[in-house]
Amino acid sequence: MAVKSKEAKPEAAGGQSPHPAALRLHGVRKNYGHVVGVDGVDLTVDEGEFFTLLGPSGSGKTTLLRLIAGFERPDAGRIELGGRDVTSMPPHLRETNTVFQDYALFPHMTVGENIGYGLRVKGVPAAERRERVERAVRMVRLVGLDKRRPNQLSGGQRQRVALARAVVNEPEVLLLDEPLGALDLKLRQEMQLELKRIQKQVGITFIYVTHDQEEALTMSDRVAVMANGRIEQIGPPLELYERPATEFVAGFIGISNLLTRDGIKFVVRPEKLHILLEEDSPEPGMTVEPGVVEQVIYVGQSTRFNVRLDQGEPLVAVRQNTEAADEALQIGGRRIRLAWAPEHTYVLDQQQEPDAKPASVENTKEK
Amino acid sequence: MAVTDAGRLRKNRGAAPLQTLLWRWPWVRPALLLTPPLAWFVLVYLTSLVLLLITAFWTIDTFTTQIVQVWNLDNFRIILTEPAYRLIIGRTVGIAALVTVTDGLLAFPFAYYMAKVASRRTQTILFAAVLLPLWASYLARVYAWILILNHSGILNWSLQSIGLPPANIGYTNTAMWLVFSYIWLPFMIIPTYAALERVPDSLLEAAADLGARRWRAVLDIVVPLAIPGVVAGSIFTFSLTLGDYITPILVGGAGSTFIGNVVYIGAFEAL
Amino acid sequence: MAPQTSIGPGEGQLNLVLWDGYADKSWVDPFTATTGCKVNQKPAGSSDEMVSLMKDGGAGQWDMVSASGDADLRLIYGGDVKPMNTSLIPDFANFQTYFKAPGYNTINGIHYGISLQWGPNTLLYSTKKFPNAPTSWSTIYDPANKGLLTVPDNPIQIADAALYLSKTQPNLGIKDPYELTQKQFDASVALLKQQRPLIKKYWALATDEITLFQNGDVVAGAAWPFQTIQLKAAGAAVAETIPIEGATGWADTWMLATKATHPNCAYLWTKWVSTPKVQAMQALSFGETPVNTKACAEMEALSAGSCAQYHADAPGSYFNTIKFWTTPTATCDDGSNNCIPYAQWQAAWTTITA
Repeated sequence: MAVKSKEAKPEAAGGQSPHPAALRLHGVRKNYGHVVGVDGVDLTVDEGEFFTLLGPSGSGKTTLLRLIAGFERPDAGRIELGGRDVTSMPPHLRETNTVFQDYALFPHMTVGENIGYGLRVKGVPAAERRERVERAVRMVRLVGLDKRRPNQLSGGQRQRVALARAVVNEPEVLLLDEPLGALDLKLRQEMQLELKRIQKQVGITFIYVTHDQEEALTMSDRVAVMANGRIEQIGPPLELYERPATEFVAGFIGISNLLTRDGIKFVVRPEKLHILLEEDSPEPGMTVEPGVVEQVIYVGQSTRFNVRLDQGEPLVAVRQNTEAADEALQIGGRRIRLAWAPEHTYVLDQQQEPDAKPASVENTKEK
Repeated sequence: MAVTDAGRLRKNRGAAPLQTLLWRWPWVRPALLLTPPLAWFVLVYLTSLVLLLITAFWTIDTFTTQIVQVWNLDNFRIILTEPAYRLIIGRTVGIAALVTVTDGLLAFPFAYYMAKVASRRTQTILFAAVLLPLWASYLARVYAWILILNHSGILNWSLQSIGLPPANIGYTNTAMWLVFSYIWLPFMIIPTYAALERVPDSLLEAAADLGARRWRAVLDIVVPLAIPGVVAGSIFTFSLTLGDYITPILVGGAGSTFIGNVVYIGAFEAL
Repeated sequence: MAPQTSIGPGEGQLNLVLWDGYADKSWVDPFTATTGCKVNQKPAGSSDEMVSLMKDGGAGQWDMVSASGDADLRLIYGGDVKPMNTSLIPDFANFQTYFKAPGYNTINGIHYGISLQWGPNTLLYSTKKFPNAPTSWSTIYDPANKGLLTVPDNPIQIADAALYLSKTQPNLGIKDPYELTQKQFDASVALLKQQRPLIKKYWALATDEITLFQNGDVVAGAAWPFQTIQLKAAGAAVAETIPIEGATGWADTWMLATKATHPNCAYLWTKWVSTPKVQAMQALSFGETPVNTKACAEMEALSAGSCAQYHADAPGSYFNTIKFWTTPTATCDDGSNNCIPYAQWQAAWTTITA
C-alpha cells in the first residue's frame, strides 16, 4: 500500500533550517513540443503560506501546478516538497492534494464517499475515516448533504466538496487550480473569504492558481506573477501593486498608466492622479501635465476619467465618489491638468525582457 | 414597399391560429410528432406479436402444414417438458452469456486504451480497425473462420508447423464461441469506448492525487462509470448471439443447434 | 376436377419453386425462345420450405414446384397441387416404368405431377482413410470413425437408419423404412442418437458436405452423386458406393399448383424438361439420373460413360433396391393406423440433433 510519509527525510532538509520550505522549485522546465510551458522556474514557498500563481492563460501557471502535483513530468529541474525531492515521484506518492478547476468529483460516489476516498485508499480505519470526513464536512459547511451525489449539488457546494476532499487528507501542500473560476461574482467573493478562513484553520500551505488579479491580491500572503512560463515578480500583494517590477506586472495588476519621460519608464496608479481644473493649483512638488478629458465613466463608488495628455499618452484617473458625482460628470471634453506626487511614480526595471508584454499570450491553451 | 409590408402582415396573421394553438397547448406538438410512429408501432409491431402469441396456442397439422385453430397448451408443454428443447435453450443462453463475458473482458482494456491512452492518430486508426470489419459481409467473416478452424485450416497448419498436435475445434461449440466473440466484439467495444470517453481525465488525476495507484483508480473510478456502456454492449452481444442461427449452421457441429435454428426449421412448418 | 385435356397458347410467364440449378440458362433460354414463357425462379433450401411456399395452392403466386418425394404427399393431401394429364407429355411413354406411377406422386391412378430426375443416397468416403471400399452402412455408425462423419440434416434420415436396421436386426420386422411402427421407429431413433456423438456436422447444403470432405474434417458420410462428382472434379480422393443394405433415394416431380395462373406454360415446361436432350443436360449438370430412358444416348453424347455411371440404363429390378423418399403417414401398408406420421419424424429429428 502506498502510504504517503508525513516525515521529511532529515538529510534532504540539508541541515539549513529546522523548518524546511513547504515547496522548493529549482530550474523547473517543461516544454510541449516547441511550445514553452514552464521556462526555468525557481521558487520557494514557506510552510503555512497562502501563495498564489497569477498570470494570464498560457502563462504556465497551471502547468507549474500540475508539475508540483506530479501530473506532468518536468524536462529539467528539481521539485522538493517538505525538503524531499519528489521530482520523479508519481502523484499518488506525493504529499500534495489538488482542488481541480472542474472539481473532478466522482459522480458515482456520494459527497461523503468523495471526501473519504483519499483516506480509504490509504487504508485509514473506517471509524477514523468517518470521524475525519464528518469534521471536513462541518468545516466546509455541508452538514446534512453528505449522502447526496455531486449532480444534486450547486456549483458552490461542489466547490466545497472538492476542497473538503483535498483538505481531509491533511496534505503538506494544497494545490488549487482556479477553484472559484466557475462561480458567479458574489459566490466567488464569499468563497474567497471562506478559503482564507479554512486555510488559517488547518494551517496547510496553499498554492493557488488564478488569472484574477483582484482575487490574488485579496487572498494571498505572496503572489508570483507569471508570463510566458516565467515568474515576472514575486512579492506580497502591496509590493506588486505599488511597486511593480516590470511593465508586464504593472499592466496585469490594476490599471497601469505608463509614461516615459527623459528616457525613464515609470508607472502612476490612477487613484494617485489629481485632476486640476483651470482655477485649481497643484500642491507643491507635484508634477503637472496638461491634457483633455476624452471620456468620463461613472462606476458607482468611483468615477473614471480617460485623459489624453498633450504629449500624446492616454492616462486613466480615478476619483472616489465621496460626494455627489454630478459635477465630475460635467468635465468631459474639457482641458484639465493632471498632477501627481513624485513618490507615487515607480520606475520600471530597465533590464526587463522586451517580450514580456502584458496579456498578449493567448496563443497556447494551457494544458 | 407598401405591398411587401401588407404581404408580411397577411402572412403573420395567417400563421397565427396554429402558432397560438401550439403555444397554448404545449402537448399538441409532441402528440403530432409521436402519433405516426406510435400508430405504426401498435398496428404493425404489437399486433404481429400478439398474433404470433395467439398462434402459439394453436397446433399445426405437420403433414399438410395447415394451422389447426384449436386452443391448447401443447406447444408450451412440449417446450417445457421435452429435454431436447431445454438443452437447446440452455446451450443458446449459455453460449450467449459466455460470449458476452468474453467480449466484455476483451473490449474493456481495448476501449480503455483507445479512450484514455492512445494518441488522436492511433485512436483514429483503432477506430477504423474496429469498424471496418462491420462493412464486410457477416457471411464472409464467418466463412473466414471456417478456413481458419477446419481440419486443414490455418490454425492446424500453424500448430503443426511448430510441432504441436492439431486442435480440432472446427465445427464445435468452441468454434461457435470463438466466432460469436469475434463477430460481436465491435458491438461491445463501441459503447464501452463511448462510456470511457465521457469519463474526464481529471477524475483519474484526482484519484491519483488522492493516493490511488493506476489500477486502483481504474477499478474505483473508471470501471463504475463505464458500466452503462458495458451494459449496453452486453445487451448487444447477448441478444445478437441469442437470436443468431447462421453461425450455428456454418461453424457449429453436431449438437450446436440454437433456438434460432429450431425457430427457422419450425417456421416452415408453421407459416 | 379433371385436368386440362389440351395445351393452349402460353401465358408469357412461368413462376417456379425449385431446387437451385433445376432451371439452368442452357435449357431455359431455348424454352423461352420457342414458347414465349418467361421463367421466374424461387430456389428453396429444403423440402419443408417448398411445402411452406406452396401453401394455399401456390396462392396464385407459384405455378409449379420441383418437389421431392418426402414433400409430395404433404402437397397432395394439403390440396396445394392438382392432378396433371400425362397424355399431354409425349415423352411420358419413354419413362422408366417405376417413375410413371410411383406411390409418392400417384394416388389411385391419379398423377399429381410428372416425374423428373432421381438419385440414390450413397455412402461417400475418403479413399485415403478407406483404401478398401466399405461395404456396409455400419461405417457411419462405427465409433471408430468418431468425429469424422457427416449425414444430412433432414428428418428423412430416420429412414436410412430404419433401412440399416431392416437388414441388421431382422427381428424388428422393418419392411418399408417409411412405414414404421412405434417400436421400429424408436429403434431407429435410438440408433441415430447413438450416432450423434460420432457426427462432426449435420450438413444442410450439398456444398457444406463438399467443404467438409475437402478440408479433411470428415472421412465418410451419406451423400448424393452430386457431391461425389464435384469432389472428384476438384481432385479430392473420394469414392461412393451403394452398400449391401441398399440405399434410400430421392426422386423429384414437377407438380402443378392448384391455383396456377399460367397452366399452359406449366405444361409446356413439363413437356420440355421431359425431352431426352433436356433430361440429359439436367442430369449431368446436377449429378442425377433422368427418368426418360431415351436420355441415355444424349448423356453418352455429352459425356461418354455417364449413362452407366448414373444408372440411367438400369433395369427395372434395380429400383427395388432403392427405397425412394416418400412422406411417412400414419396409415401403414396393411391399412392400419399404427405407423408414425411425418410430424413425429420432425419432432424426433430435433431431439436427435439437439
